[in-house]
Amino acid sequence: MEGWAGRILDIDLSSGTIEIYPLNMDMATMYLGGRGLGARLLWDLVGPEVEPLSSENVLIFATGPLTASGAQTSNRFSVTTKSPLTGTILDANSGGWWGMRFKRTGYDALIVRGKAAKPSLIEITPDGVSIKDASHLWGQTVLETTAALGQNNNKRNVLCIGPAGENLSRISAIMNDGHRSLARGGVGAVMGSKNLKAIVTVGTDKNKAHDPDQFKFMLYETGKIIKQSPLTSKGLPQFGTAVVMNVVNEIGALPTRNFQQSQFENAEAISGERMTETILVKKRACWACPISCTRVTKTERMEGEGPEYESTWAFGAQCGIDDLELIAEANYLCNDLGLDTISMGSTIGCAMELTEKGLLDGDLRFGRADKLHETIYDTAYRKGLGDDMAEGSYRMAEKYGAPELSMSGKKLEMPAYDPRGMQGQGLLYATSNRGACHMRGNMLGPEVLALPRLVDRLATQGKAGIVAVHQDTAAVVDSLVICKFTNMAATEEHFARLLTAISGRLFTAQDLSQIGRRIWNLERLYNLREGFTVADDTLPDRLLNEPVAEGPSEGFTVNLEPMLQEYYDFRGWDSQGVPEPEILEELELTELLERA
Amino acid sequence: MMVTVKLFGNLRDLGAASVSEMPGHTVRDAISALCVENETLREAIFDGDVLMPHVRVMINGRDIELAEGLDTRLQGGEQIAIFPPIAGG
Repeated sequence: MEGWAGRILDIDLSSGTIEIYPLNMDMATMYLGGRGLGARLLWDLVGPEVEPLSSENVLIFATGPLTASGAQTSNRFSVTTKSPLTGTILDANSGGWWGMRFKRTGYDALIVRGKAAKPSLIEITPDGVSIKDASHLWGQTVLETTAALGQNNNKRNVLCIGPAGENLSRISAIMNDGHRSLARGGVGAVMGSKNLKAIVTVGTDKNKAHDPDQFKFMLYETGKIIKQSPLTSKGLPQFGTAVVMNVVNEIGALPTRNFQQSQFENAEAISGERMTETILVKKRACWACPISCTRVTKTERMEGEGPEYESTWAFGAQCGIDDLELIAEANYLCNDLGLDTISMGSTIGCAMELTEKGLLDGDLRFGRADKLHETIYDTAYRKGLGDDMAEGSYRMAEKYGAPELSMSGKKLEMPAYDPRGMQGQGLLYATSNRGACHMRGNMLGPEVLALPRLVDRLATQGKAGIVAVHQDTAAVVDSLVICKFTNMAATEEHFARLLTAISGRLFTAQDLSQIGRRIWNLERLYNLREGFTVADDTLPDRLLNEPVAEGPSEGFTVNLEPMLQEYYDFRGWDSQGVPEPEILEELELTELLERA
Repeated sequence: MMVTVKLFGNLRDLGAASVSEMPGHTVRDAISALCVENETLREAIFDGDVLMPHVRVMINGRDIELAEGLDTRLQGGEQIAIFPPIAGG
């Protein structure tokens, strides 16, 4: 294995067929792995006629050429599918150990098709691949299932869904190694719709480098940079990701009470600093990670991993809640039931506003931390209002007559940055291929942290190119597959040299940029084929037309239209957001359309 | 001019209060006042006459780099926030 294992495992749960075939290496060098490979395969496998929760949809679990290599943070992997929440192409990305272990079974990707006749699990070990009965596990939580299947970080790794995925919640996640999540877009429901409860991996193949001396040198170089950067050697390890709560609040971009305000009066109470003083037990790292951003925390009643910044915000400021212990417990519950914390918290906040506006009965109001536990359980088990919440905020709000109160883009719940205070983030949300998402090229870097350089967060001109480049870089990182926090210290130049050393094929930083653009444009083409148009590159009415009432972002809405046109222009797309023929030619995507 | 100076992250571990009232005609003055007799804090914030890499300073939520940097003049009553190198997402 030098970067790529060269094999794809393809399992049809309907027929029970297990096939292994070679990875197309032209495809691999054009799309790398992870998100890119997933997008390319999904283009062929799942067309517009396929319903996301039907047996014709697929799940593509994919690693990348750096996965399991020992390169810093080379533990990550992705799953790609058509999302039941958004209807778009959707990839979700996770860390931990499962991705590394799956790569060590000797495959680059696993395609899961069809639907099993009864609850099943897939087991991949040195003895072979098998589909087994999982009826006895159906109904169990994530932690119960993970323990029952013998999870051991160092030997045997479990990926599974919880009750939320079994009950086909559109905001359900797939969990791995107990606490890590492939969170967004309802991937848990796709797995649940296939009657697939778990995938267990036991693998020992090594991803050895073609040029071991050069690879070792690059590991040293990359490790040195990560250690020298105070971002990755101090800030993140000491406080975790929630350390940005205070800075985002300070600039007036912390969405509060369903984006009605952009500062939370009790942000300090739910900050990374407060977490460190109170509920933090220790930090933890994923496999081969020197950064250790993961938090292990404990409340009076429960313990677990997290919460991250996004999860803390989702159950915190988004819901007007400042009880850090109850916020942490909400996070643990979502992990154990298999729910996306961003979508769950955001949907709760939406329900709170619906209630306060008299559109929903009940007492689920802002600040009701005591309602979090039961609301999350009800969502996982589709009880009462939980049945509506399981559909996500947009469908819920639409049912109760106010879809404009869903703070989402393409129906994906928006994360923890109010784009009225960060204009470039607004453009990112509106153009993200999987729906409003910060992980597609987070503008927190340039607009707030001056990474690599500061741009005025309230300006709109000139943002398009920065957003597009960040999007392309994120696509590369998601396809190698490594952690974006490595990218806060190391550059595409480092990644290119690592990739060259491990694979024996020459890659430059420019090659990687091209690959990132290709992946982005392919995802765009997929969504266009699904029927998405320029009208979907938008934001909720509140963010476009309701100025922030007070604070450092007072008076601002997202001035989206000029940014959008500048963005289409920069991308080489026409005014309707369709890639021009010469762009498709340059990116070698024309042949896909000719074959479609 | 009196302003409020707020410290975040590990700057809070360096012997100064998280929130203080400080005098100063410029941002530099106010931060320097905070660092009087606290060389550890000064070294965490300043690299000579300039800010340490990745340290961000804001006045009322606006980064001072978008104004006159450390020489930005103060009117009195502003909130100055100092962040050490942090990242998240």
